[in-house]
Amino acid sequence: MSNENGAIISTPEPERQSMEVDIACVGFGPAMGGFLTTLSRGLSNADGTPAVESAVSPGMPPQVVCYERADGLGFGVSGVVTRARGIRATFPGLDASQIPMATAIKHERVLYLLDPIGASRRSAALRAADLGIKAWGRLLPWYRDHALELPYAPAFLHKKGGLVLSIGQFNQWVGEQLMAGGQVQLWPGMPVSQPLVDGDKVVGVRLVDQGVAKNGAPDAGYMPGMDVKAQLTVVADGPVGAVGRALDERFGMPEGHHVREWAVGMKMVVDLPEICTLPEGTVFHTFGYPEPEIFGFMYVHPGRVASVGIFVPSWFDSPIRTSYLYLQHYVQHPYVWQYLKGGKMRSWGAKSLQESGKRGEPRLVGDGFARIGESSGTTNVLTGSGVDEAWASGAQLAEGVLELLHAKKPFTRENLEAAYVARRRASWVEEEGLVAEKARDGFGRGVVTGLLGMALSGMTKGMLNLGPEPVPPHERLGSIEGYYQGKIPTAEVARIRDECRKKGQSLAAALMRRAGWPDIPYDGQLLVTHQDALLVGGKVQAPGGYADHVVFLQPAVCESCGSKTCIEICSAQAIAPGETGGVPAFDREKCVHCGACLWNCTQALEGETTNIAFRAGAGGLHSAEN
Amino acid sequence: MDTILFLSHTEQDGKLPRAGLEALGAAKELAQALKATLVAGVFGKVTQPAAAQLAGTGAARALAVTGADFADARYATDAAAAEALSRAAAPTIVIAPGTSRLSRVLPAVAHRLGGRVDTHATAVAAKDGAPTLTRWFYRQRMEATLKRTERPWVVLIDGGCHAAVVPDGGAPALEEVPVAIGDAQRRTRVTGFKAPRSDAQTIRPDAKILFVAGAGWTKKQADGKPHVEEAEKLILGFLGATKASLGSSKSLVDLSGEGNAVLTFMSHLNQIGQTGATPRHPKGLATCCHGEEPHVVGWRFINERRAVNLDPNCGWARGKADVVYVADAFEVVAKVNALLK
Amino acid sequence: MSGYQIVVCGSIVPDPLQTLEPVTGPSGPVLKNELMLPAVLDPWAGHALYEAANLAAKTPGSKVWLVSLGPKAKVQQVMMAVGQKVPFELVALDGPAGGFVDAHETAAALADAVKAIPGIDRTKLLVFGGWESASRGAGATLQILGERLEIHDQFQGVDQIAPQADGSLEILERVEGGQHQISVVAGPPALLGWATGNLPEPRNNPQVGMANMRGIMPALQKSKPAKVGTGDLQYLAVTLPKAQRETRVVKNMPTDEIAREIVEWISKD
Repeated sequence: MSNENGAIISTPEPERQSMEVDIACVGFGPAMGGFLTTLSRGLSNADGTPAVESAVSPGMPPQVVCYERADGLGFGVSGVVTRARGIRATFPGLDASQIPMATAIKHERVLYLLDPIGASRRSAALRAADLGIKAWGRLLPWYRDHALELPYAPAFLHKKGGLVLSIGQFNQWVGEQLMAGGQVQLWPGMPVSQPLVDGDKVVGVRLVDQGVAKNGAPDAGYMPGMDVKAQLTVVADGPVGAVGRALDERFGMPEGHHVREWAVGMKMVVDLPEICTLPEGTVFHTFGYPEPEIFGFMYVHPGRVASVGIFVPSWFDSPIRTSYLYLQHYVQHPYVWQYLKGGKMRSWGAKSLQESGKRGEPRLVGDGFARIGESSGTTNVLTGSGVDEAWASGAQLAEGVLELLHAKKPFTRENLEAAYVARRRASWVEEEGLVAEKARDGFGRGVVTGLLGMALSGMTKGMLNLGPEPVPPHERLGSIEGYYQGKIPTAEVARIRDECRKKGQSLAAALMRRAGWPDIPYDGQLLVTHQDALLVGGKVQAPGGYADHVVFLQPAVCESCGSKTCIEICSAQAIAPGETGGVPAFDREKCVHCGACLWNCTQALEGETTNIAFRAGAGGLHSAEN
Repeated sequence: MDTILFLSHTEQDGKLPRAGLEALGAAKELAQALKATLVAGVFGKVTQPAAAQLAGTGAARALAVTGADFADARYATDAAAAEALSRAAAPTIVIAPGTSRLSRVLPAVAHRLGGRVDTHATAVAAKDGAPTLTRWFYRQRMEATLKRTERPWVVLIDGGCHAAVVPDGGAPALEEVPVAIGDAQRRTRVTGFKAPRSDAQTIRPDAKILFVAGAGWTKKQADGKPHVEEAEKLILGFLGATKASLGSSKSLVDLSGEGNAVLTFMSHLNQIGQTGATPRHPKGLATCCHGEEPHVVGWRFINERRAVNLDPNCGWARGKADVVYVADAFEVVAKVNALLK
Repeated sequence: MSGYQIVVCGSIVPDPLQTLEPVTGPSGPVLKNELMLPAVLDPWAGHALYEAANLAAKTPGSKVWLVSLGPKAKVQQVMMAVGQKVPFELVALDGPAGGFVDAHETAAALADAVKAIPGIDRTKLLVFGGWESASRGAGATLQILGERLEIHDQFQGVDQIAPQADGSLEILERVEGGQHQISVVAGPPALLGWATGNLPEPRNNPQVGMANMRGIMPALQKSKPAKVGTGDLQYLAVTLPKAQRETRVVKNMPTDEIAREIVEWISKD
């Protein structure tokens, strides 16, 4: 039995504890960091007395609790370059050396990578361009190692004056200060299953049940998830967060808004070899390889450490778009490999990115709730920037909340509109988000159109844009047979599919090998098996007593699904062919909670929801440097 | 000049435990290397049979604390005995076996003597005329060699790290050291032992081979179904035929702990690596294991290692085992069991 | 009997699943990136804490303290996870949590902290801790701590404690051969170094968290620097083991032959 948000309700309903706080917060990332840091500073006076009063504990400062799904505050997954405008506004004298792995950006390069292997799928236009570059490349000072460094990159792509960060370490740093301040409570390892909605008002959140079997049924030590009643619920649980998505379902998206553009960001943190002389603060942005649609990056942190990774976007129409394999090919590109050869993978991780940006903006506020961060549509898809915008949105909400607390005004939709949304609309986040809103539409027509579209939007400040409105990912993806038409005969695809199902494996490795991609020369250092990657630098952990968070809603729909993109896209091989080959099997002990299965399911149920439910779940990677 | 005290309890039969003979070997060698005086000290309900085992070690004195109060492994009385022996010998270095009984009391005795203690030593040696010690840190993940300036320095040596001495010649006479025991030291009574159920499979320290069962045994097999009962039968069959010690990966133990329908004879006592044991055996066979550091520390001290795994690149096998058979463990163990019958 | 006073000594350690590497610091060996690594309550200390909470819950009038030595910021981080599990009062000592310090110095600092807990009554005192740790694995700290507190009923490798009707405590300790030694101690004070015990990890409870955190933050704020160092220890070398073996990978060998080879290998002495 499930309620309107799809959450399992055990029958009979057990006795459920509840408690009251002033502000309940969901998800601890950059947006929540910005919110809580700004809020904390305003809750008490310099002499320690409450500056504003709690509604639930009179005489006390407001009770603020934040629940984070992952087991640690630093177990986020991202290494970023950011202009850090919002972050610096909060910390004016910010000294990057106080944050481990942080450094100022010193050199930025944008590179077009050619295909040294000949296995990637390139359009005729791109092939022609490649031929030209190869023919004339040696005359160009910008061409070497199958890579063309763009002699000019538009300003909107630059992060001048910004920072290279490990979000894991940044989160830890922010969290430490918040905890030490004692104004707010941060509770990692505590997933929130859903918002509590009373009529049209959000009245708090419900935490996940503990002591349940994988299917959610009560088991040894059963403890129903507590109801945390709050005057205000602040939702910052990211693009695949259960609470944010439940609100979208319950209240609907604003007219013309939707989240149809996504990407998997996957990266590894690498100890660079001794001989590598790249200075810290070096940043590469690449495109063109391993597939033209896949963007890549390398950021050099202090201490001869680099973050290296790729983005596999939803408009890359391969139904077998396995990020890990592409990442392995990416790092072996001669231009990248020259720096990495002899290096060692320290950790690895993946996350989904909401790439709809402003167009994916949900209802930012309602009675009793406010949304901040990535799932509130802050990401700027033109500049490829999200952390800074997320932080700024959190800080803006905090300013608004303090204003309402001082004025003793309730957290109604109108009051939050005036105090928070108005601040956001008047800020650079909104201004630049509007410029970027349609900047990537061109990719719907192909890479070349996409790049031209980005340039056009960037140059005209969003006045002119190329390309159609995006369609949901499941409407784009064709069949595997169709994708490989002309490269692999249909009968052979069927044979490979059958073989892989018997072995319980995804198709990606077999099909890519057949399509001309070479085997990975494992070295046990940087090139390790996908399974070994799950075990380095902190390993995936899945505490017992929680329900599986990936659920295949209607088995019959999976049975008839031919592509099973969920298996192929899975960042951690946590989804594998099922017992009979029909419904895939999910192994929580491998899941890194990237949420890619959610938006890669090709089987639409109603509206834009698909046959995979991605719920709030415990565990995941235990790496604090991603 | 150094005086080295070899210190051990005796077993119920009055003889030294095997680990004691090993530590005695280490003490004897160290005494020779440092040109130190070796003194032996033993305690227990009966000690005389141990005298013969001290023969040929070159011990200048052999001390004993003997009596019914020292029959059981009890902190207060054991500490009193060990303290008395140490004070009588006035050593600069104490070498003792890392049995559960001595591990319980010797750190405290070192404190009473105003000295220092190190446990879990894997080797002692002389360097430039001074003793050094080798032990592992961070759960067997890094090995350190260290020395100390404070004396006496009490060192507990892990079992299986040194060759046992072979007695040679006549037994020395034991000098009894008197120890008075009062009621305050008898607040604890040892009432018995609880042995594992006869069908329970535990780590057997004396086994020639360690069989490591990984979580793969409970996962779906080629036909898409798990075969837990068959896995149990195969593993128990192998253990029965080889008298192997059974170790397990943490993930498999955890699965069992959560009441999953998995290997019923498995408990936390079987866990190796991480928070589990790092047992010492001449050989180890890992099956269906997958993992990296720190899981693999579970067989840090296994000399010859082989693995059966479907994935040749598995972290348990590649670079960690001498041989990895890329094969289905169900089939291989079934065949092995048949051959062993 | 009006309950026990259970003082659990539990240090923090790097999450055991992280990659650990030694480097030389200003005063001896340290872990590379030690302060960047996520920390956890030492697994054995964790078992001790959960056993303490369980015993306290079953014995009215009992109270649990957690005495934790570690860098303040790291202890704070760990308390966010541990604080949700079971009720306790934190006593924080701001000092190093690395594995290369001397157990004697750690024990001295812990002993001072235990003695300074207001209202500690020896006739109710049970000192708990882990018999091992994932850092130093000294296997000595608790014993020395016990001596400093003049507790002469000590147990190591404990898997079970059972209060008896007469006020005595039955304790099961791990000994050789997979056996447990059963002892009965007349009553507190006693010191127990825990192995794994038999309890599952408690569920995260937000109310327990809220209640604990009221005491945790002040305890962290007033945590005193603890002078804990390597003492007289001198490290001559700290190395990672040469983990790589030349592995012979046997592929495509018939099962019969693999079995024969394995049996031959097992039988060989």
